[in-house]
Amino acid sequence: MMQYMLMIHEDESVYAGPEGEKLLAETLAAHMALGEALVAAGISYSGERLKPASTATTIRWNRGEHQIHDGAFSESHEELGGFYIIDVANLDEALQWAKRIPIPRGALEIRPVWPMSGPDA
Amino acid sequence: MSSGGLGAAIIAARPAVVAALAARFRDLDLAEDGFADAAELAMRQFADAPPPANVGGWLHVAGRRRIIDRLRREARLAELIAGQPEAAGGEDMDIVQLFDEQIPDERLRLIFICCHPAIAPEARAALTLRVVCGVPTERIAAAFLLATPAMAQRLTRAKAKIREAGVPFETPPPHLWAERLHSVLATLEIGYALAFQDAAGSEPTADLGPEVLRLTDMLADLLPDDPEVLGLAALVQLAEARRWARVDGAGRMIPLSEQDCGLWNDGLIASAARLMRRAAAIGRSGPYQLMAAIHLTHARRKSEGQTDWAAILKLYDLLSLLRPGPVTAINRAVALSKVEGAEAGLAALEALGSDKLASYRPWYAARGHLLAQTGDREGAAAAYRTALTLNPARAERLFLEARLRGTSA
Repeated sequence: MMQYMLMIHEDESVYAGPEGEKLLAETLAAHMALGEALVAAGISYSGERLKPASTATTIRWNRGEHQIHDGAFSESHEELGGFYIIDVANLDEALQWAKRIPIPRGALEIRPVWPMSGPDA
Repeated sequence: MSSGGLGAAIIAARPAVVAALAARFRDLDLAEDGFADAAELAMRQFADAPPPANVGGWLHVAGRRRIIDRLRREARLAELIAGQPEAAGGEDMDIVQLFDEQIPDERLRLIFICCHPAIAPEARAALTLRVVCGVPTERIAAAFLLATPAMAQRLTRAKAKIREAGVPFETPPPHLWAERLHSVLATLEIGYALAFQDAAGSEPTADLGPEVLRLTDMLADLLPDDPEVLGLAALVQLAEARRWARVDGAGRMIPLSEQDCGLWNDGLIASAARLMRRAAAIGRSGPYQLMAAIHLTHARRKSEGQTDWAAILKLYDLLSLLRPGPVTAINRAVALSKVEGAEAGLAALEALGSDKLASYRPWYAARGHLLAQTGDREGAAAAYRTALTLNPARAERLFLEARLRGTSA
């Protein structure tokens, strides 16, 4: 089995306004349904929703010196809004679950988790 | 068998042997290295002795033994050995006694692994040519117009992605089949485009035609019930059939409609026609079948003495619906000019909008051709000159220069 982190990079602005509230409610409901589907499939997983990027603080390092900044690390319109970590057999299974993550506008990145006991650890 | 015959047999056996080793050891590098070791051993062992009847089976067993030896030596991979099923005494027997072992056919698996959609399309095409067909990295690099180290790095990265990201070493399950097969066909189409753009095939070091033909034939053999797989195989056979007619003695591209069809390969054309009849009987059309039908209609010039441009135009109309794009639209305009005259073809080209295709060489080449037919020599010359500024490959450049000279003749 392999662990994959599914990172939700989404455009937060779609959730603004009255229409956005409705969209957010639908999206959250879809996340709940996905969680239930993962449980029903016997897949162990974890995941969290993050507060908006406006609440982010970044520490940037350069040769031992650091500076603290307001805001997210990424400059793009699509911010890390949440993540899942799932335990599945291979990339195809991870992709299959990743496609079911509701993202009104944005992208999903799938990254294998470095195995702590693996040969390269 | 001469050593040349043994060499050819080794090359022919490669896809099946590498695929079986990759499926068993779940590592493309191990499979490639195991095959290379086995091939070298065979060339030495049978330099002065009669070669085995089943070269593939011999290479598979020899390659497997070499890989297991290597894994035993490398403590880092010790757990991989533990994961191997216990061989029933066979591994310690002399290789010579194992000539006739059947190789499990894992070629389809290998193709699906190399063409996984998680790999970038061009890297997929390069990887498939390298791993499945064994095309040397230098030749693949030449076809992609890359330096060899850059291509080697691209191949290494693709293999690392497969290994580290957990690309499965299984044929995809039914619910993923459509997406994964689409990715395979798109990959092989990149190979087709590289090998058979009429100008690209003229550089001898880069000519990948036979390898791409081998791949698409193999896929048609493995998936005989998919009409688009058959369509792509037919398309490549028809392109390969024209190999010797594509350029003249000076290396200048000859457009399809002006090629000497006496140089076309009848066997390949007949084989493509058979594939297309089988595809049609399945009753699900698609872009590859339509493209193959267009090429087959061109091929009929050989038996019928003329080209049925009305049929070709109809096929391009259908193709524009299934797969709109500049290449289809420009070819359709040229077909239209053959049916309704150069003016109609020019109008269709204009309608595509020179602003959108301002740096698209095929648009200017087609425009020059059609303007010359209407007698507008100056307009034609200007279009050819613009086309020549847009980096044509050598064969096409020679062709465009000849056309340009023609406008002042």
